[in-house]
Amino acid sequence: MNALRSWIARRLLLGVLQTAAVVLLVFGLTEALPGDAAVAFAGDQPDPQRIAAVREAMGLDRPAHERLTDWVVGLLHGDFGTSLTSGRPVAGFLADGFGPTLLLATLTVLILVPVSVGLGVLAARHEGRLTDRLISSATLGVYAVPEFALGVLLVSVFALRLGWLPPTAVGYGTDLLAHPAALVLPVLVLLARPVCSLARLVRAGMIDALAAPWTAHARRYGIPGARIRYGHALPNALAPATQQLARTIDWLLCGVIVVEALYVIPGLGTVLMNAVADRDIPVVQGLAVVFGVATVLLNLGADLVTHRLAPRSGAAA
Amino acid sequence: MKRLGGYGPGTAVVAVPLGIALAGPLLVGEPTARAASFTLDAGHRLGTDFVGRDVVQQVLLGGRPVVLVALAATVLVYLVALPVGLACALTHRRWLEEVLMRPLDVLLAVPSLLMILLVAAAFPPGKAGLALLVAFVSAPDATRIVRAAAAEAASRPAVEALRMQGESWWRLAVGYVGRSILRTLAADAGIRLTGVLYLVATAAFLGIGVAPDAADWAVMVDRNRTGLIVQPWAVVVPALLIVALTMGGNLLVDAAMERRTPVRKGRRT
Repeated sequence: MNALRSWIARRLLLGVLQTAAVVLLVFGLTEALPGDAAVAFAGDQPDPQRIAAVREAMGLDRPAHERLTDWVVGLLHGDFGTSLTSGRPVAGFLADGFGPTLLLATLTVLILVPVSVGLGVLAARHEGRLTDRLISSATLGVYAVPEFALGVLLVSVFALRLGWLPPTAVGYGTDLLAHPAALVLPVLVLLARPVCSLARLVRAGMIDALAAPWTAHARRYGIPGARIRYGHALPNALAPATQQLARTIDWLLCGVIVVEALYVIPGLGTVLMNAVADRDIPVVQGLAVVFGVATVLLNLGADLVTHRLAPRSGAAA
Repeated sequence: MKRLGGYGPGTAVVAVPLGIALAGPLLVGEPTARAASFTLDAGHRLGTDFVGRDVVQQVLLGGRPVVLVALAATVLVYLVALPVGLACALTHRRWLEEVLMRPLDVLLAVPSLLMILLVAAAFPPGKAGLALLVAFVSAPDATRIVRAAAAEAASRPAVEALRMQGESWWRLAVGYVGRSILRTLAADAGIRLTGVLYLVATAAFLGIGVAPDAADWAVMVDRNRTGLIVQPWAVVVPALLIVALTMGGNLLVDAAMERRTPVRKGRRT
């Protein structure tokens, strides 16, 4: 129990350090701007008056460490600063985009886990036979395909050619749950890569576990095959897959940005892309912190689950 | 992992997009006069794009930047990963290893596309900038793999013997350790290339590192989306080529890995 506690403590400490590093990195990157954020924001038509006004608003005349402290203190209080383009608080932007993105991510993860575990177990049970070869080839092929190419092809077939689904979410506002048809293609595209990578890991883990001496021993004791498969082999096969689930989060966050751009969904990804296009540094910073901290937290969660599933594997800490 | 066939399917799928990407620019004739945008008239076999350029010509021109930027980024990744990974594996100074490797753990915690967007918001990159940026976000993972492979090779008795003979660091690192990890490196380079290709295409689709009217498959997909209903070819053809390129590339890498190295688990692109 003591070892477990110290492991959790070390893992939490790493999470805190990573969060701090993400915040510092975000600040440092925008601090490294040629000129400063105000000049960058003014862009192609530098208007000295406007630059001076932005400098004033962002407090750029003060030393960097003071601004960093202020910003971090603000972050801790949920104050993300003010947008340069609209003068609205950044937290407002985040609140607007949060709903659709959370909906997309939740739906994807809810479908992702059963589908990939199911496919992986199915392939492992038929190892070497046609079902396995089909699943393995398909998951390998789709694994590296960029979401935008896949998504645009699905739109041309299912929305424009067959007319079954709406091509984009334009006109549905932020309440997407009321229009499930508009969610089908985005979630499908988001699922593609993570399902492939997880299914392959589950398959490999399952095959290893079913070939292990302890499985043979359990069989000799007369424990039913289904119980060995799902009660004993599967949890062992899931441990490496949970670690991959954490890495999948990286893909999901990237995927969300692309999918929102592709299907015109007004989520955090769209807010981020607009802010990047407008060079609205405070909004970009705020979103980067939110995305970065979300990744750190989800990785932390996945490591804790992995540790619970297979304590011996000693997940990284 | 059992698949259908060896190198066959991968080669078949990747041949067309790679051929167009490499040879396409040589086959393009004089640019034709601009026509109306998004038309499907007889003069253009695949119609025209959003500014009235011939889609066939754009497709022939648009593969090279994707492939070249991806290749350049992969080379850049190893320019960082190899020296840092080898230095970490061969050093006996723990602090040096910590100083070099710990920051990478932190970089790994930031989603790669987010990092690219964040840097792009500060410094809008060109083609070379995009290659650098993609290399920068892909390097931490590659460095870890180089270090892990090299650390194993560096702990062999042969290295101890070479050290006692007074061989130089260079001969030790490159001549022995570098050569022993070649197979792992080859496998990793394949995975890295497919991952980098994904990032390069996605970044270009999001408008990073490319001109808004560039002849680039990813940019074509993005810019011609508005005319998808009237003129689908300007989007579907480049999208299919990107799908074929990434899919075939991955099938080839997997076939090569199966032949050359024992199964490596928990890989990541």
